[in-house]
Amino acid sequence: MTSIDVRNLTKEYGTRRAVDDLTFTVRPGRVTGFLGPNGAGKSTTMRLVLGLDRPTSGTATVGSRPYRTLAEPLRHVGALLDSDSAHGSRTARDHLRVLAASNRIAARRVDEVLEETGIAAVARRRVGTYSLGMRQRLGIAAALLGDPEAVMLDEPANGLDPEGIVWIRELLRRLAAQGRTVLVSSHLMNETASFADHLVVLGRGRLLADLPMRDFIDARVQPRVRVRTPDAAALRAAVARHGHEAVEHDDGYWTVHHARVEDVGRLLSDAGVPVLELTADTGTLEQAYLDLTATETEFTAQPQEA
Amino acid sequence: MPFTPVLRAEALKIRTLRPLYGTLPAVFLAVTAFSALAAGSGAADPGSDPLFASLSGVWPGQIAAIVFGALTVSAEYHGNAIRLSLAAVPRRGRWFAAKLTAVAVPVLVVGLVTGLTALFTARAVLGGAAAGLSAGEQARGVLGCGIYLMLIALFAAGLTALFRSGVATLSTLIPFILVVSFVIGDAAGSAARFLPDQAGQVVLHQTSDGPLGPWSGLAVTALWAAAALAAGAWRLCTRDA
Repeated sequence: MTSIDVRNLTKEYGTRRAVDDLTFTVRPGRVTGFLGPNGAGKSTTMRLVLGLDRPTSGTATVGSRPYRTLAEPLRHVGALLDSDSAHGSRTARDHLRVLAASNRIAARRVDEVLEETGIAAVARRRVGTYSLGMRQRLGIAAALLGDPEAVMLDEPANGLDPEGIVWIRELLRRLAAQGRTVLVSSHLMNETASFADHLVVLGRGRLLADLPMRDFIDARVQPRVRVRTPDAAALRAAVARHGHEAVEHDDGYWTVHHARVEDVGRLLSDAGVPVLELTADTGTLEQAYLDLTATETEFTAQPQEA
Repeated sequence: MPFTPVLRAEALKIRTLRPLYGTLPAVFLAVTAFSALAAGSGAADPGSDPLFASLSGVWPGQIAAIVFGALTVSAEYHGNAIRLSLAAVPRRGRWFAAKLTAVAVPVLVVGLVTGLTALFTARAVLGGAAAGLSAGEQARGVLGCGIYLMLIALFAAGLTALFRSGVATLSTLIPFILVVSFVIGDAAGSAARFLPDQAGQVVLHQTSDGPLGPWSGLAVTALWAAAALAAGAWRLCTRDA
């Protein structure tokens, strides 16, 4: 069991507090989305977990050990931090061979991850000739190289084309299904909603939320039901009897606010209201996120200081 | 974390980057070609030092060694390569030691082969003027050529880790060696003999008239290199990557 544990983690750069007393745990077997506006401290937290930056206070451990004490860390944790970590004059294959050599990873893994990330055909080309999407795939290949139990990816979908985005989504789901610990940062809500089971939300270095994605949305966005009926008067009367209100839209639909589709369906049936269409209008992650940041206005995107 | 895999990875980094390992044959070519030229022009001058005439190509050739040392380290500060390197090898001291070994060993080997080749070439050119060189002096010259080039490459590597930039290192060291040391070497007298390049080059002369002998001169250059490396290691180990 390899969890990523962050305990009271604080990082200050001069007077600016990039990470502020952060505590959370990333558990195996699910994809944890790491959300927050630009400058919220997501990348800094990842660097602190990897021992690249030193925390001002607090601890970060992987499998209850500080990253720096891992003997061959790439076999335990795979990370994608930047898309420019491979030298432009080296080939992708050589870049991975160097990493494999340093952690005594079998050479065949190099070809396996090149296949898996779809860049095997261009692996002998210099990285300098790569597009951003290809470099991103190479970064993911490097993260997967040591077959790690924990994977941390910072904005993995950056620069990927639509097929690439579908691919990364399936990859993340598969890694979690294999029981790995998966932490993926993003500022794109729809993308995160497509792969995350759990969310950790940061704002200005502080923890705003740490809960299952479904709970996060349900707690933030009131459920609504969309109804189409030829008998508007009967609809309004029926829902009004149960304390709901139906609002008409221009396109002939009615929306029942603060109601679940199971309840509305039953009460319309009981009242004999003819129904042409009945749809649950569940909230999106984006709505929930915007609701959170609206209530915490001080946490919304700030102009980044240097 | 054992040292050998880290060293193997650092050596592989150099072997897989042509602009980097290409500087090693440049060391060989520059030293041997300039030495042969100098020997040719010095053959007629009875006052010249025959050992230094044979190895004087070290002076321009060291530029290639400096470039090799600086670029090997500065490749890590290209983009954010250093982060991935330190994520793979979080023990920074060990990583830096492996990097320096990967710099030092090839330069030493190339330096020894170069010194030997330059000496044989120059002896053929110098003819009788080289007859006064003892076997010990010649061996010292070849060994000194290898060690001096290695130390100067390490000096450059240390400065690059300190500045986190190859450009800063090269734009400091190369003008210093080509111009400053040359100019103040004549003006400042004996203090200049302790500069990293002048001290280390005593070993390339048959006779020395300054305060430093061949080996103590190399030791002074080694101290300069050690100071640069310690400063570079300090920066690497204490700063966020």
